[in-house]
Formats: sequence, C-alpha cells, structure tokens
Amino acid sequence: MSVKGLHKIIYPFAPDQSGAAAVLYELGGMIIICDAGGCAGNICGFDEPRWLQTKSAVFSAGLRDMDAILGRDDLMIEKIVKASDKIDAKFVAIIGTPVPATIATDYKALRRMAEKRTGMPVITVDSNGALWYDSGIEKAYMECFRKFASDDNGAVIPRSVGVIGVTPLDSDSLTAGKRIADALTASGTERVICYGAGSSFEDFADAGRMEKNIVVAAAGLRAARYLKDRFGTPYECADPLIGDVRAGIDLSAEELEGKRILIIHQQIRANALREVLLQEAEGLIEKPQITAASWFMMDEEISEKGDFRIREESDFFELVGNGDWDIIIADGSFRRASGDFGEKHGKHGKFIELPHFAVSGQFAGEESVKYYT
Amino acid sequence: MISEPYREPYSISIRELNESGPDNIPRELVPASQLIYSSPATLAFNSPGATGFGVKRAGLAVPDSVMLLVAPGCCGRNTKLLSEIQGYEDRFFFLLMDESDIVNGDHLARVPDAVCEVVDYLDKKPSVVMICATCVDALLGTDWDRVCRKAEEASGVPVRPCYMYALTREGRKPPMVLVRKAVYSLLEPAKRDPRTVNILGYFSPLTDDCELYGLLKQAGVKKINEISRCEDYESYLGMSRANFNIVLNHEARTAADDLAKRLNIPYLELTRLYQIDKIANQYSAFAGSIGASFDDSEYRERAEKAVSGFRDKYGSISIAVGEMLNANAFELSLALVKYGFKVPEIYSNISREDYVYIRHLAEISPETRLFTNLSPTMLCYDCSRSDADLTLGKDAEYYHPDCPNVPWNEEKQPFGYSGVTGLFEKMTEALA
Repeated sequence: MSVKGLHKIIYPFAPDQSGAAAVLYELGGMIIICDAGGCAGNICGFDEPRWLQTKSAVFSAGLRDMDAILGRDDLMIEKIVKASDKIDAKFVAIIGTPVPATIATDYKALRRMAEKRTGMPVITVDSNGALWYDSGIEKAYMECFRKFASDDNGAVIPRSVGVIGVTPLDSDSLTAGKRIADALTASGTERVICYGAGSSFEDFADAGRMEKNIVVAAAGLRAARYLKDRFGTPYECADPLIGDVRAGIDLSAEELEGKRILIIHQQIRANALREVLLQEAEGLIEKPQITAASWFMMDEEISEKGDFRIREESDFFELVGNGDWDIIIADGSFRRASGDFGEKHGKHGKFIELPHFAVSGQFAGEESVKYYT
Repeated sequence: MISEPYREPYSISIRELNESGPDNIPRELVPASQLIYSSPATLAFNSPGATGFGVKRAGLAVPDSVMLLVAPGCCGRNTKLLSEIQGYEDRFFFLLMDESDIVNGDHLARVPDAVCEVVDYLDKKPSVVMICATCVDALLGTDWDRVCRKAEEASGVPVRPCYMYALTREGRKPPMVLVRKAVYSLLEPAKRDPRTVNILGYFSPLTDDCELYGLLKQAGVKKINEISRCEDYESYLGMSRANFNIVLNHEARTAADDLAKRLNIPYLELTRLYQIDKIANQYSAFAGSIGASFDDSEYRERAEKAVSGFRDKYGSISIAVGEMLNANAFELSLALVKYGFKVPEIYSNISREDYVYIRHLAEISPETRLFTNLSPTMLCYDCSRSDADLTLGKDAEYYHPDCPNVPWNEEKQPFGYSGVTGLFEKMTEALA
C-alpha cells in the first residue's frame, strides 16, 4: 500500500490556479495571483504558453509572511488600486493559491473591497493549488458567466455558437481556438465565441444570445449547464478537432481488431477519440473494447461503463500498468509509469502518445514555448 | 489581452536615485509596496523554485541526494523541466497535499513513511533525502527538524529540510540563504588539511579558465573543493578538511558562519567584479590576508586586451543591462561606463548594498535610467524609445527582442579577470 499522495514517477499536473489563469488570460483584465511569487512564476513560465507571445497583465500579489499571518487584505487592495491607476484593464481577477487557502481568505470580502476601491468589476477564483487545472477552469468560467453574462443583451443570434473549454491546457496547439472557429464558420455558423481563446471580456455579455454551446473539455460542462439553466441555451459535448487528433495517432483500423484499448486524456477528447476509433472498427469481425480514463473530472452523464478516474499514482500502476490492455493512448509522460503493461496478461502492449499540455506541458508535434528552459 | 498601454513604465535616473539615498529608496522600487509584474527576471528573482538554481535544484547539490517535495501539486509543477536536465533524472519525488492537509497539516504524519517508500524504491541508497517545504508549512509553522528526525529514524538515511518559502523572500534568512546552509549541513568535523580550500557560493563550478584556481595554486593550495565538482558523497565529505572557505556569493555567508561554528573553518569573502582595477585590488588584499603573493599580470592583461579590442572595433556603443545575469547589474554598468561605453538603461531590483556602485555611477553616468523588473508598469515598456545597440541579461533581451543580446547567465560561473575576458568575447560574438 503506497503512501497517499506520493508520486515517484508521475510529475504533478497543471494546478487549478493555472486553469483559472488560462481562461482569463486573453480577456483584458488585470489578473492577480494571490501568492508569494512562485505560483505566478509557474503560470507564466510553464503553464501559460501565450506568455512569451502575448502580453497580459498577470501580476503576483507579492505576499510576504507577515501579510499572510496578519491577513493584510487591505494592503493587497492598495496594491491593486495603485496598479489599476496605471494599467488599462477592464476588470480585476483575483486567483487563489495555497497561501490564501491556508489562512482562509474571505474572497467575498476581498471582491467587495476591490470593487469599491477600483470601480471595476472584480471576480475571485478560490483555487488552492492542491486541485488540478480542470477545477480552476470550471471555477473561472462560472465566475465569468455569473458576473459578465447579460440578461438583457438582446435576442438569440441565429446560427451562433459558444465554445466552452478551449484553453492551451487542453488543446493541441495555440491555434486550437481559431481552428475551431474557422471550422464552425465554414459550416455555416455566423457568430462564434470561443470563450477564453480569441474572445474578449465583452463577449461574455452575449453568452445568453448563443443558439447553442459546444463543450470541448469536461471542465466546461458545469458552465454549459449553468447557461442552460439561466438562458435555456442547449449544449453538446464535442471535440471539433478530433480529426486532427486522429491523424496524429499511429494506429491503423486493422490494429483495432479485438483489442482492449485505454485512452487517457480529458474526458471529452477521450470520448471523441473512442467514437472515431469505434466507427473505424465497424467493419471488423471482433470489435475493440475501448475505455476512457482521466486524472481529471469524469462526468457521469458522458461516461460509459468501465470508464474510470485515476486519483493516485498507485492507482495508475494498478489500473493502467497492471491492466489487461493491448494499447494505451496517453500523454508521453505516462509511458514510463505504464511499464510493461499487458505483460501480466501475456500481452506486449503498444503505447501511443496523445499529448496533453496540462500533463506534460507540451503540444503535439512541436516544442512548447517555455521560459524556464 | 490588455489594450494599448497609455502610461509610461516607471523609471528613475541614477542621479535621482543617488540623491534619494539608500534610506529613501522610492516606493516604486520596493517589492512589498506593489503588485509584481511577471517579467522573466521576476520569475527568477521572486520565485525561489524558478530558473537556474532555485531551491529545488540547489537542494540536490549534495552528490547522490534525492528530494521529496512536500507541497500542494502546484509547487511541483515546473519540476518536470528540472528532471529533464542531465543528472537530475529520478531524483525528485512528491508527497502531494490535498485540500484538508493545507489546513490541518495531516501530511506531516505521512512524511516518514513516504521517505521510507522512496528509499526502498531506489536501487541505490541515497546519501540524503532533502525535504523541500513550501509556503503552506511556513504558515502552519511546521517544525521540520522534528519531522526530518522522525523520517531519518524510520528510513535509516539522513533527512534534511530545505525551505522553499517564497513568503520569506525579503526576510532575514531567505530561501536561497537557507538552502546553502542545508547543503553543507552534512559535513562533520574532520582533521584539517592546510593545503585544502573550499569555494562556497555557487551550485555550479567556476569556469575552467578562471584565474582563481591558478592563483590559489601559486599560494600553495593543492586541493580546491567546490560542491558541484564533488563526484561522490565521499569527496563531498572531504570538504570538512578545508583550511579555509572562500565565499563568492553573500548568500553563502550563513552557511560559512555555520561551518565556522561547527567545524571551525574560517572564511573570507570575495566579490564578483567587472572593474579590472578593483579585481586587482581585491586579489592583492586577498593574497595579503592569507600571507601569500599573487602574480596576476597575465590574466589582467588578457582582460584589458579583451576590453580594448572590443572598444576599438565597436566604439562607444550603448549597452542596456539587466539583472538576470552573472553580475551585479550596477557594478557591471559602472565597469562598462568606465571602459567608455554608454549604459542608457538598467533593469534591476535594488538593495541598499547597491549604493556602493550607484554612488560612482551617478558621477559618471547620471542620466542612466533604472527600470524595475517588478513594476506592473513594465507592461507598458516600449523598446522603440530606447537606443540600445546591445543588451546584457536574459531579462534585457525580453524587453529588446530584436537587439543583439548576451544572456551571460551560463551555469558555469564567471569570476575575476576571466569573467571580464569571457564577457567581452561573448559581446563580440553577439555583434559579429
């Protein structure tokens, strides 16, 4: 029995504050990472590939020990006010880290104080660094839609689509948002909003006017349900880029015959790939059995029997490394932890890489841009 | 993204800075008084786990050591890149805190078992397990000495804490000071060898051509130890035999004090300089203090030739200087101005100690402007308003992406005359 939380091979994934920052990065706000410096450094230097290409007002609150111990929220508000006088930002976002989580920061109070002093809309995301990126994405979307979506911006726009869940952390490249928008436009959609990717803060106001929403990552599901409840906007889960993803996977239709296949990714991409592979296998005599798994949120509504969530490294060794799999499709970071999978069951497994930026910090087929390197 | 900036980035002339004096450093230059801009230098300066030798990598300076990072997942995220550096594979392990651990500290009870599991997992017993602790435990007030003692008893290998407490960045003993103390904490009293010397301060060695090696040999020193050149744990333990320690970085002073107290090894400090006349003075004083004499003429001539050769070729060009490099930005700027170059801009954080150089710089280049990498207003920096022909430092390159640049932040550490020579050779390459 392994010690809870111990990772010997698999490195930690993108944390929740990185997920929150990824949603907000392009919206034109002043993003304040409520930390001592390391968390902001991790976001900009590792988890946010846009940082070297596009300037965004991502700041560290620069907390020091006595600020935290004495709960000097007023000092942080002063800093925010001072910066807001000098930066042309449209809103303020305060993103949590382990420091405010430890001292139980009152985000509601922080938001009220900041709004009063800056005169700008303020959102807070109570991320804590102990959860993974998907939690931060989910919370950031919820905050944005609650705060910025308007009830009286006008009627539903015909042939309009909102896309929820496009961030670099779940994408195959920085062009994902544009490619999705182009594909939708080519198929007759007249207005596309990819929330957080090529969209602005103002676009969120039109959230209630979309004809439908497409959720491309499981972290966007909660927001889609919220918009359905609030505006009646229907949603569907889909991965519009699955064709590109499939093209990058070295696996012929013949190889699928009778195989037990495990796909590890964020749930919607894993599901979409499963669907494509099953379609390809339709003519085969013995159909493959394909299971989706994820370290991240697995929504029951879109799960199939046998799909599972991985929570501990020891679970990974047991369910993946010792599992009865012929083929594993997952980020290359998991190759070593997968070991000689299938061996226990007399098989020689095939590992196929499917990059996941939130896991390895790398995009498909290209060296990711990182400052730390 | 942020729309067109409408404000100027904050800057101040060296003249004004000197006039305000070390007791009245403008608030715009004080990190604690403002939000901190995520510039490249900020990531290195403000985050003790970041680039180069942050706490994580530094903590593994002891040969055959491994590290257990005890933290929420976010603190270990960028460690993946460190693991890709040769010599660091399979040396990082993680005990991840969950949401309740952050508040109630339950993770501490798991540390001894986690250390045992890591030790059992490894083919070779590590020399030491370094526990890397982070902000959460700083706030919980964790007694890491006690936790490490328990882990040591359970595992049978030395276990030491190193503190990646970004919250204490401006404290009396910041993370990079304490980690230096931690990596020498395993040294035990041993018989001293009068011909052995330790060089402390960096986690990578001096450049192979550094004259300090030759000068120490002139003084009769037979063995020069640097932790980064220790091939195994035994040779690391041999550092206990040094006659004296040479401290090249002030952040190693606490470690040197500890060694003086525990092992009775005295130390002296040398400063990295780029002003050739000051380098000569320092070596002269150093030789006097150890009762030796140095002939440094050959090294000095080479450095002077490198400077004059560059100046003859490129004239009095403008050089912008950052802080993310192997130099003190103010001392380097002072040296450059003294050599006949212009330094229009410096990008650097500032401390009281920098006034030693600022005072002189104000006399010969008062209109040089200081920008602080930490200021949110640097988001508005516009390189088209600057006339730099060359930039030094990785941060300076960030502000001037199209200008020739010498990062000058290689891992092997430049020092003394050879540092000057090497820098000007790189500057020549950059402009060629």
